[in-house]
Amino acid sequence: MSHPVALDKPGKRVVLMGNEAITRGAIEGGIALASGYPGTPSSEIGNTFTRVAKPLGIHFEWSANEKVALEVAFGASMVGQRAICSMKHVGVNVALDILNPITLRGVKGGLVLVSTDDPSQHSSRTEQDNRWLGRHNDVPILEPSSPQEAKDLTKYALELSEQVKLPVMIRTVTRLSHMRSDVKLGEMQRLNRKPGFDWDGFSYRVAGFEKLFRRHEERHGKIDSVQEVFEGSSFNELKLNGKEKIGVIGVGFAITYVRDALEHLGVEDRVAWLKLVTTNPMPERLVARLIESVDTVLIAEEVDPFIELHVKALAKDVNPDVKILGRMNGFIPREGELSHEVIDARVAELTGVELAPEARDDLEEAKGDLLFDRMLTMCAGCPHRSTIYALKKAVQAVKGDLMNVVVNGDIGCYGLAHAPPMEFEDTYFCMGASIGVSQGMQRFGVDTIAWIGDGTFFHAGIPALQNAVHNNAPIKVVVADNQAVAMTGFQTNPQLGRTATGDQVEPIMIEDIAKASGVKHVEVVDPYDLDTTEEAFKRMLGFDGVAMVIARRECAMVAVRNMRPERPPVYCVDQEACIGCKQCLNTYGCPALMWNEGERKASIDTTLCMGCTSCAQVCPVGAILRRDEA
Amino acid sequence: MKTFKIVISGVGGQGTLLASRILAEASISAGLHVKIGETYGMAQRGGPVMGHIQIGGAAHNPQIRKGEADALVGFEPAEASRRGVTYLKDGGLALVNTRVTAPVEVISGMVPYPDMGELMALLSKVTDRVVAFDATSLAEEAGDPIATNVVMLGALTESGELPFDEETVLTTLRDSLRPRFLELNMRAFDLGRKAYREVAS
Repeated sequence: MSHPVALDKPGKRVVLMGNEAITRGAIEGGIALASGYPGTPSSEIGNTFTRVAKPLGIHFEWSANEKVALEVAFGASMVGQRAICSMKHVGVNVALDILNPITLRGVKGGLVLVSTDDPSQHSSRTEQDNRWLGRHNDVPILEPSSPQEAKDLTKYALELSEQVKLPVMIRTVTRLSHMRSDVKLGEMQRLNRKPGFDWDGFSYRVAGFEKLFRRHEERHGKIDSVQEVFEGSSFNELKLNGKEKIGVIGVGFAITYVRDALEHLGVEDRVAWLKLVTTNPMPERLVARLIESVDTVLIAEEVDPFIELHVKALAKDVNPDVKILGRMNGFIPREGELSHEVIDARVAELTGVELAPEARDDLEEAKGDLLFDRMLTMCAGCPHRSTIYALKKAVQAVKGDLMNVVVNGDIGCYGLAHAPPMEFEDTYFCMGASIGVSQGMQRFGVDTIAWIGDGTFFHAGIPALQNAVHNNAPIKVVVADNQAVAMTGFQTNPQLGRTATGDQVEPIMIEDIAKASGVKHVEVVDPYDLDTTEEAFKRMLGFDGVAMVIARRECAMVAVRNMRPERPPVYCVDQEACIGCKQCLNTYGCPALMWNEGERKASIDTTLCMGCTSCAQVCPVGAILRRDEA
Repeated sequence: MKTFKIVISGVGGQGTLLASRILAEASISAGLHVKIGETYGMAQRGGPVMGHIQIGGAAHNPQIRKGEADALVGFEPAEASRRGVTYLKDGGLALVNTRVTAPVEVISGMVPYPDMGELMALLSKVTDRVVAFDATSLAEEAGDPIATNVVMLGALTESGELPFDEETVLTTLRDSLRPRFLELNMRAFDLGRKAYREVAS
């Protein structure tokens, strides 16, 4: 079955996820190149391209990091091609360094940057609002409210970008990126533009340095022209009859809560509303029509009071008496994503409608007493668990106490090392930071371990590692190398020897990079061999200088998937031999292990076991055996 | 028409996403609009997953309000109670797979898994229409535990509450599944239908 995103059937209705709709919109917009770096909730945009790009003649790549991804897309733009680049919100922090010169210099082929923000931090370490980053650089911003609009806006954004010669940001939120609904497909476009560098637009040699260098004023002119375009944009929608006392501005996806609330409370006739999709620069004359006409304005937007601040500034000129309510004054909570509960309650309060009280408080309380939280954990057979187990034993042996080192972790599945039962990780901050922050601690004699994954090492670990060698900071680096960008769905990285779309390429090995960077002690081990791995960690801890151990074993989920329909040789617990010491459960804690309280024996769930052998090595009495040999 | 609202709850890896996708495709082929809101942040790592499906009607937001779901499809008993208590309407249909997926805090002995009777009693305070059975066993009987999602779809279809007929669901299933898994899934679907008839009566 071909992917619905690649269907050449204009007018057909298909079910698409918000992110898939963005991919389709880019195809309808005639892109020649797509790039990105995986990260929830953005990953499905690129995942979809990995499936459909090649047959459509589009180059897609997972780039080394977000900055490189945006640079690649900008390069394509400078030779006249349309391009799209996608990343999660914190990825734009990384890409910001190139975003700024793009906005000053301008674009040739339409260039769209997709930022997927994550209100309430469903799968992120922050809920930052990337609209500030767009405004910071005079980037036009569009915020879709449905998958259909996400598709249509992406196509439009490519055209707008080309027209005004600025990159355009599509800003989504998790709930939109991950929602699905029926979307009506449009025409697919293949522009087949002849590539050619725009010498007059970008070349110092041809256009001259003076013309290209000071461009702040020109950028202001461009963003002002976008405001004029946005004043008349049909993506915005104002519903106003002039008699309403209350108006609501629903920004992007937030309008869905607003319109549902108005219908739910039966106040559609009494409340004016504005769906605002073009949010930077804000179309002031359109917004003024609403705030001139009402006494009170409620602003519903995800994360920060971005539009609210602008509306307050505008109100000073057009209606200083209007009451403006939103996140700034806490009328809507200042943190966390919007919900029916929040918007229903606020609209009810403003309109004086009685809201039915929460009827099930007692049941919710009983539920809270009964249920566990269901913590996240590493999968059955995860090689990271074995790596941490061996690392803890080595640290205990060499340092005397597990608290004698600070474990600086990084971003990825292995970041779950902080959770029970492993509990051997103290910090993680952002991609690659484990290696950098360890150096500042180590400088003052505080022993550290930098704990980083293979994908993250390529993303931002390399400069930090070279810094350690260059500045003589004798840190110890453990690479949790599971041969995948696993947390976000098994995307490729430079070590794998194949691209996102399946081409065979030269693999770049982490040990080669480390050695070439002057790291004098580098070992590669198989973490499923616990004793050998522990010994390697002991040597690393005893080495005088920068040292690295790469614990390399393919992600268990990938391994099991590649094995299908075969199943791995599973293990079982000899019930006679088990002494009920719980060491396997308490110190190793694989989800395939189970405890029978009545018998006081451990056992193994053979549907989950993937035969890694680690628990058999952990058992002090040899009670865990390969099932077909038991 | 009135919007038909379903909450699907389970644990990462149980195939809940495929179940909602089948329902979405079936809705479209029945000519109905559909909206699905999914929460699966880091579900591959053993976390809870939940899908909100709204078929027909004109809701703008994919999330279902608390206490408004017409049906709950619970792939795991604790997750069924967790979401059913919050989202199922009074007297709504609760389909529950009784096969337990224990979280790490239960495995490592930090907390016990709740008593099944208490879990179902909690759900019964919201509705008297709790239809609970071991769907994973039925999937195993059909040939593969991964077909639990199709067993649950069979039961939901048999309930007669969906705003489209059984043939629409079957056609969608046939179009969506790989041919070599079709026979197995058809067995799973029938076992789900049979289980509903037996338990609900």
